[in-house]
Amino acid sequence: MEEVKAYIESGILELYVLGDVTPAERLEVEAMAVKYTAVKDELAAIEKSLELYAKANEIAPADTQREIILNRLDYVLVNEQSYKNEAKVLPLVKPQSNFYKYAFAASLALLIASVIALLNVYGRLKETTNLVASLQNQNHEIASTVSLKDGEIEVLRDPSFKLLKLQGTQKSPAAAITVAWSPVKKKVWIDMATAKMPSNDKEHQYQLWALVAGKPVDLGVFDSDTTSKDMKEMKSITLADAFAVTLEKRGGSPTPSMDEMMVIGKF
Amino acid sequence: MSRRHKISLSEEELIAALGKREKIAAEALYDMYSASLFGVISRIVIDTATAEDVLQDTFVKIWNSFASYSADKGRLFTWMVNIARNLAIDKIRSKDFKNQNKNQELENNVTFIDEKRNTVYNPELLGIKDLVEKLKPEQKSILELVYFKGYTHVEAADELGIPLGTIKTRLRMAIVQLRKNFN
Repeated sequence: MEEVKAYIESGILELYVLGDVTPAERLEVEAMAVKYTAVKDELAAIEKSLELYAKANEIAPADTQREIILNRLDYVLVNEQSYKNEAKVLPLVKPQSNFYKYAFAASLALLIASVIALLNVYGRLKETTNLVASLQNQNHEIASTVSLKDGEIEVLRDPSFKLLKLQGTQKSPAAAITVAWSPVKKKVWIDMATAKMPSNDKEHQYQLWALVAGKPVDLGVFDSDTTSKDMKEMKSITLADAFAVTLEKRGGSPTPSMDEMMVIGKF
Repeated sequence: MSRRHKISLSEEELIAALGKREKIAAEALYDMYSASLFGVISRIVIDTATAEDVLQDTFVKIWNSFASYSADKGRLFTWMVNIARNLAIDKIRSKDFKNQNKNQELENNVTFIDEKRNTVYNPELLGIKDLVEKLKPEQKSILELVYFKGYTHVEAADELGIPLGTIKTRLRMAIVQLRKNFN
């Protein structure tokens, strides 16, 4: 302990506090202070007395210095200034968050409206597609009707066609049908619009015959149809003395059933 | 004396606040230590405007280099007053300052300052000042030279024409006397 006492009394600690030591002496003092409490306590006492000595000799700087100095320092963390800055920033943040809220709501509303509109449009598109399909069908029907009518008009205009009205037999005196025949074009038509044939059942059909040199020639089958306004084209034939219609089993027969003759007409 | 309320913190609180670089730390630092530091600076740098410059630089340096302060190695004021003293000495030794010829004759400085300035009336310090007055003249002069003039003990020995060992002993005795008086 004598060594420590001598060290303290050497005056090195006072010089250390005054900053008047070499770097080596500084390290030595700091090592001694760590090692010996007496050195540490002595240093504390010297520091405290010199601080009081400075206080005893204090000179207050001019009042203006406080503001000047405080303004020259930069404050990194929490202080009044930064609180003020945050308060200024807040109003900027709020409308922004509201903007996104409203924007989201608007987007959602727009989406819902769009879906409804889309469904509406889809429904109409479907209707329109159906309409187009039915119009196409109608158009098709009209087109075929027109071509049929064209055929009928041609028959009526063509001087080679001969019109023959077949009259009802004793079996069905009221029955009648008109046959148009062109030996030149080898075509035979029957006019359903003016036909007055009793309605046939499902097992039976009318069959048109041509009589050529006393022999019957099949010209095809047809059904009674009171609603039809068409002319129906039958099988072709170049020669005929007479035409007749018999009621046969459905699909027609190879030879006519004479007792079932409905109408007949001769040239 | 009817000035704004001064901020005062314990040394531990102040050091913690300084570490966080809070403005209140700077305010407390100034209120607690500016007069003591300015007392030291003003006795080295006589010109008031220049002393104020040094005071400003001192606070800026304390603030910016606070990370290098370690409470383990001593009191906050000891660290700060050495910064102030070094900046003040650098100032009076700088070329442009010498050219301005503003430095005074050394012997008269302390008395000159005390005559020139009306140091703030502070009843708390009355007792301390009396105790300082009780120092022997030789103790007072060595303290003034090394503490207020920034002399190294080698320079002081040279100035006073006294051996180095005697300077050290006399300085120690002066501080021991202060301690007796303060405690």
